[in-house]
Amino acid sequence: MKIPLILYIISVFQVDYDTAYTMPTVDVTEHRQGISLEKTASPSITINEYQLNSHGITNQKSLSGIVPGLHIPDYGASLTSTIYLRGFGSRMENPALGMYIDDFPVADKNMYDFDWEGIRSVTLLRGPQAMLYGRNAMAGALSIQTLSSADLDGIRVSAEYGTANSIRTGITIPAGNHLINATFRHTDGYFMNECRKSLCDPYTGGGLNWKWEDCTIGRYLENIVRASFSNEGGFAYGSYRNDSILPVNYNDESSYRRFSLLEGFKVRKNHNRITTQTSASLQLLADRMRMDQDYTPQSVFTLEQKQRMVTSTFEFSFRPVREYDHWKPKTGAFCYFKANDMSAPVEFRQDGINRLILNNANSNIPDDMGYLEFEETEFPVTSDFEILSWNTALYHESIFSLGRWLLTAGLRFDYEGAWMRYDSHALIHYRFVPNMSSFKPFSESYEGSTDRCSIEILPKISAMYSVPTGNDDNMLAVYLTISEGFRAGGFNTQIFSDIIQGHMMNGLMADLGVYLDNPMPSVGAEHTVYDPEEAWNYELGIRFINRQHIQAQVNAYYMDGYNQQLTVFPPGKSTGRMMTNAGRSRSIGTEAQLSIYGEHFSTQFSYSLCDARFVRYVDGNNDYSGNSVPFIPKSTFYAGADWRIPVSANSVVLHADMRGCGPISWNESSTLREPAHLTIGGGISWTTDRIRLGLRGDNLTGNQHPVFYFKSVGNEFFALSKPRSIKLSVTINL
Amino acid sequence: MQIAAISCQKNDDTNDTKETMVPVKTDYIGTVTVTYQEQDYDNPDILVIYDPSQDGKTVSITLKKIKFVPQMPVTIDVTIPDVTTSSKDGKTVLTCDEEDPISMGGPMSRYKVTGFGGEIQGDNLSFSLNFGSYPTRFSGIEVKQ
Repeated sequence: MKIPLILYIISVFQVDYDTAYTMPTVDVTEHRQGISLEKTASPSITINEYQLNSHGITNQKSLSGIVPGLHIPDYGASLTSTIYLRGFGSRMENPALGMYIDDFPVADKNMYDFDWEGIRSVTLLRGPQAMLYGRNAMAGALSIQTLSSADLDGIRVSAEYGTANSIRTGITIPAGNHLINATFRHTDGYFMNECRKSLCDPYTGGGLNWKWEDCTIGRYLENIVRASFSNEGGFAYGSYRNDSILPVNYNDESSYRRFSLLEGFKVRKNHNRITTQTSASLQLLADRMRMDQDYTPQSVFTLEQKQRMVTSTFEFSFRPVREYDHWKPKTGAFCYFKANDMSAPVEFRQDGINRLILNNANSNIPDDMGYLEFEETEFPVTSDFEILSWNTALYHESIFSLGRWLLTAGLRFDYEGAWMRYDSHALIHYRFVPNMSSFKPFSESYEGSTDRCSIEILPKISAMYSVPTGNDDNMLAVYLTISEGFRAGGFNTQIFSDIIQGHMMNGLMADLGVYLDNPMPSVGAEHTVYDPEEAWNYELGIRFINRQHIQAQVNAYYMDGYNQQLTVFPPGKSTGRMMTNAGRSRSIGTEAQLSIYGEHFSTQFSYSLCDARFVRYVDGNNDYSGNSVPFIPKSTFYAGADWRIPVSANSVVLHADMRGCGPISWNESSTLREPAHLTIGGGISWTTDRIRLGLRGDNLTGNQHPVFYFKSVGNEFFALSKPRSIKLSVTINL
Repeated sequence: MQIAAISCQKNDDTNDTKETMVPVKTDYIGTVTVTYQEQDYDNPDILVIYDPSQDGKTVSITLKKIKFVPQMPVTIDVTIPDVTTSSKDGKTVLTCDEEDPISMGGPMSRYKVTGFGGEIQGDNLSFSLNFGSYPTRFSGIEVKQ
């Protein structure tokens, strides 16, 4: 079975504008769905390569707003990948969106953020897609399809230069069944760290991708290798004081370095009665993050986190070769295994020792008794982890075609387990003045192992009715879907330094023979594990497609979330962070998207309205029930337009877009809110049969709005969106 | 158990009864009362550890988790390191010269021990002293293992 070539030429060099403006088509997503996207009872959007270029979409973050309700704020570093959709998502641990590249699952969120070079199309299905996409596809699934050698006639070379000394180059080489793609990107960064007198968010990175496909009658083979590296700064967080966001100003290094590799192999084969697809992948991640955790000019504490992660996935699915008129079943099994060797030492420095440890301890000791002091001006709290996790799933979905009705029923059984060995240590030398003349060593360790497992039974039912339109070019359908998804549970590796700190201080005081009436809060082992988050989705939608010119979708949903995962401080702490299951929440919303394609003009609109609230969330001190779930934009908006002006044999394309997002509540108590904001982008390109010259600007009004908020050591911080940027690009099809 | 900690040994030459300390650590529990601004402040259920030295000639007495005044935000362990024992009338008599107690990792001269006197009779331990300017007394019974 040959991979169907896309019906239009996506490359803007071999521009066939009659097809560039037609509906995008997708094959890997549809293959997994077992049905065309227009017949899928979930709202979806597909963005082809042409649109990726013209809209300035270079990675997942730039999908924000274009996909209704999708909010991926651009802050932090490549490992951040904070994804919010339909009221779900969090800034750490497992994402609420599953990602697939060429139908291979990306196993870890730290690998989600990469440069989109050589991408044929991306499709995002909203709502729980766990039935076919498994773990983490709770709010949606993002399917990325890369270019094949058949998509290009020759070698493509591209280069781009822009604001902040940003350089981006790429080369894509088709050779027989092979496609090789190499990319490089550098930017000096946008945010000056006033304390270090340097830009804090430079980026240098690249990727090397290889794809091989072989197709014979009844058999299709595919192998992909995607390697990428990056060496970057990031974490451009400015202090928030007196209603003002101050410039980035911290003293210690914050950086991120990553190497990732995804090797995937797929076999699709027609047997006598069934078609099988077997796919396996091996994924490696080696990264190192350094972070000034207090984000101030003081030397309080830093974190260096290193991971060495190996993941393997395997999936087998089959469906009948002869598709029945009324029944399309698909049955599959999935499993994955991940091993992560991680170390995350927290280094307490002089100001941190004084402020966070000694001041706390001494404030409880009467002055006339004396005071505690340490010999060290800095000391590490080491934390080493070995984490194994695994998942096994069986699923079956049947699609029944009954006249104008398309009914879908499926069930997925997911077993997920994990085991963690932890080893956390701290050693300090202390003395109590004036009683002790010399320093005495004191060490504390916290070692052990813990495990968790969960079983998820994930049903899905849907019904779609095709309304007669009297025109084969038109499709009008109404659908109803009920489905469940989940976001995997895990371990709070971040809190081990807090655990050891609490144990150390209480142990040290006991060693001294001093017992506080109010002992320092000690985070217990019970906080190291958090449970899966689950959500039921009830959705009603309507879709209209005119195959020549229009694609429109409107849907409304109610999502009921259980055990919502939220990032909070460990109990009694003003530093650190941990994931907790926050009772229950619900999201009510509506999403709309409209694309109109004309001969010389195309336009896209997206809009979402989402009211996400805690139904029940008491954090031990406060009751947040009824409040908005933080970080979730109430609405997102996108409007984009392309206008093509033929100039003899060439074309000039003007593009303009506008994105809106907000308001956003920054905290659980909803006391700090961000109003809605708009950003404007646009560009112009001149295209011949072999060359494309482009000029694009993002955030043209220079409106820098907050995109992230957090508290640390009693201080509040915001990250701002990137300033205005202009890029000039050239692409040559050799 | 202090009874077990002290054995009587007959001296054949003199017919005198000599008391020999057997180093056995013993726990007592009782109330420490500190007089503060002419008012008594009770620390109930205080553990006191009676810890004889190897040669049995002295003992250290540790008061666990006590407060001298109610306003103290912490409780502390205090050890009186060199208490001398002797036997008289079937009781163990405890005496101590003026000395610095050990607390918070070292000697606390601010709370110098003066006027120490006490005794062990049967299962009961009692003593009184001044910790600096704080008159303090303890009365408790042996914790049976």
